[in-house]
Amino acid sequence: MSTTAAGPATPPGPPAGSRLGRVAWHWRNNPKRELWFAWYTTVIFYNIFFIVFFPVTHAQPPPHPYWSDAQVAYWFNHNHDGLLIGLAIIFAIAGMTVAQNALIAYSMRRMSVSRAFGYSYIVMYSLSAVPGLLLLCVVLSVGAMRPGRDPAQVHWLYDFAFLSYIGTMGIFLLGSLVWMLAILLDKNRVLPKWFGYLNLCNALTEVVVAPAWIFHQGVLDWNGLISWWVNMVVFGVYTGAFIMLLRTMIQREDFGDGPLPDLRKDDRAKASALAGTPR
Amino acid sequence: MTDIAQAGPQPGAAGRPPGESAERPARAVPGQPDMWVLVLFEALVFTAYLAVYLFHRSAHSELFLRSQADLSPWLGTLDTLLLLTSSLFMLRCVQASRAGAFRAAMSQAFITALLGTAFLASKITEWALLVHGGHGFTSNEFFTYYFFLTGIHLLHLLIGFITIGVIICQLRRRERRSQEIVETCATYWHTVDLLWVLIFSLLYVVR
Amino acid sequence: MRRADGELILFWTLPVLAVIWASAFLLFPGFTHPMSPSMTAAQVAGFYRDPAHLSRIRYSMILFNWFGVGLIPMLMLLVMQVRRMAHRTPILSYCLLGCTAGGPTVFLIADLFWLLAAFQPGRDPQLTLMFNDLAWMTFTAVVPFLIGQSLIIALAIYLDHPDRPVFRRWVAHFNVVIAAALVPAAFTGLALGGPMAWNGLLPFWVKNMAIAAWIVVMSVALGRNIYRQRADGSDQRAPEEAVAA
Repeated sequence: MSTTAAGPATPPGPPAGSRLGRVAWHWRNNPKRELWFAWYTTVIFYNIFFIVFFPVTHAQPPPHPYWSDAQVAYWFNHNHDGLLIGLAIIFAIAGMTVAQNALIAYSMRRMSVSRAFGYSYIVMYSLSAVPGLLLLCVVLSVGAMRPGRDPAQVHWLYDFAFLSYIGTMGIFLLGSLVWMLAILLDKNRVLPKWFGYLNLCNALTEVVVAPAWIFHQGVLDWNGLISWWVNMVVFGVYTGAFIMLLRTMIQREDFGDGPLPDLRKDDRAKASALAGTPR
Repeated sequence: MTDIAQAGPQPGAAGRPPGESAERPARAVPGQPDMWVLVLFEALVFTAYLAVYLFHRSAHSELFLRSQADLSPWLGTLDTLLLLTSSLFMLRCVQASRAGAFRAAMSQAFITALLGTAFLASKITEWALLVHGGHGFTSNEFFTYYFFLTGIHLLHLLIGFITIGVIICQLRRRERRSQEIVETCATYWHTVDLLWVLIFSLLYVVR
Repeated sequence: MRRADGELILFWTLPVLAVIWASAFLLFPGFTHPMSPSMTAAQVAGFYRDPAHLSRIRYSMILFNWFGVGLIPMLMLLVMQVRRMAHRTPILSYCLLGCTAGGPTVFLIADLFWLLAAFQPGRDPQLTLMFNDLAWMTFTAVVPFLIGQSLIIALAIYLDHPDRPVFRRWVAHFNVVIAAALVPAAFTGLALGGPMAWNGLLPFWVKNMAIAAWIVVMSVALGRNIYRQRADGSDQRAPEEAVAA
């Protein structure tokens, strides 16, 4: 079992010059380019996702579960274009989600725990995209595409879409616990323990959201103050945390087997230079 | 949670220089600093839940008052006493472990678990009585909050049992015991206790 | 090479699968003359109620349900090929793994909706229309994992060792073209008629022909690789990477 922590052989360095030139150099020479590819794909995906889901389609924050048939039909007609265009964009780019899962599985591979953790995570989260995202997109598209559809049917589609999206819980619940366990057992210090505990908080949000399947109004319905808004804050903090931590992980990566070295001050500068990000 | 008694280096919070000896000098906080992140975060989230509760309570004070009357203050008080006592025993467990009296520490840990189980039994009984009396999760707004808050708290308690299990495992081993892990788990247990006190005050006492 | 590890068997299921899929495709009356989204509820209900159609719909969809995931072994063989490339990390094979899980699952859901529509053809036509919409939308528009799959393979090849690549570069270019061909299908919800409708040129003909072409080309490339690797023993060597397996 090799434990070389002597880092990858670093090429001389990117040429001074345009940002595009530096990026091209990294693309050709940076030994961590695959990891950076996965990381940037994740960040870009979340940005597009946020723009599409919030201002374009108005699918988030979710509209109310207690609306009447007529109100629901009105919502679909009012958002007709936004829904169809936005969701089409998601259909085109949702493949980007695999990069995040791959990077997270990679983090577990770098840990001192069994490979089973990473593989479990990949399989669970690959499945998650179907009920947890794509069904919402299909069903809302079908709901919007025929403005003359019977409002009662449209209402069924509305319930189907939002409940499947918000109510798909188990994958994120157990997936987070898998990552948590891996982090807490890890001896390679790939990710900090506090983030392991934060995974527990994220897993608990999936418990808190369960009443959305029961309530049509109040703080525990699918857009309730507790089950959506507070949950979103927790999820937002969690997601922001892991995006930053994965970035640091890539910067620290030494392609060895033992504990991941910390990022020292001069390493930080070098790593940023390698990654092409300005300090 | 890492096992720190390897030859020398202390994993745990990122950034600790390798080579620090296992005999730790005075630390800023007991247990892993990371656990305190969790404690703070959970406290914040619970505060948010309780704030929402209070806000809605003020909007429907009559309904909430009426429903609160159906709660048993005796059971609530019993629960609080059980958890406070369990925290006391947890504290003694940590002290015993620090002093090297591992046998004693283990019995303290077991007693803590026992008291926790008693709390669990009491809670379930109370829930059963309420449901039997016609007050369920969906009965009215107050009881939605009641079952939600006590339910989430109970979940934290169940996780607490796992942490006690970790403590017992740590105390049992001879070679790779970690005081840090024991204290980390103890911190979590105290948090469970603290959260209950908050819930108890707001749901049972404040009228 | 007489090694009985079953890989060749898995590989040679492909032509069998292709025959089954092609038959099911031709059997389904909704494909041979692709159904238009602008059909009224009465027309759609009539389609499912027509006795000449009903059995064909059910049997073709049952066949698709049985064999829909039949492509997975081939996709796994592809993942293994990507694993052999000269990459620093297994990240790209993980990405590909993720994509391959999505595609067949989505197809199965479309299949379910069609079967549901055909289960009680006497239903309210509006309901049948809705199930039909769900099936077609799922089948046509949910292409993200297929696009992702092609782009990941292309990227993996571009990042592979330039002198001893696992796949030749034209395979990468081909995958990029296929991915581009699949993108218009994502936007099919915007059109109820014309070339962008789900029975139109881009979302139906171009998309499905692209998928068929991809299966054929990638199978041939994969097959060549497998035989070459077994002949020169290179499939026994560990993947080129610095991280210890």
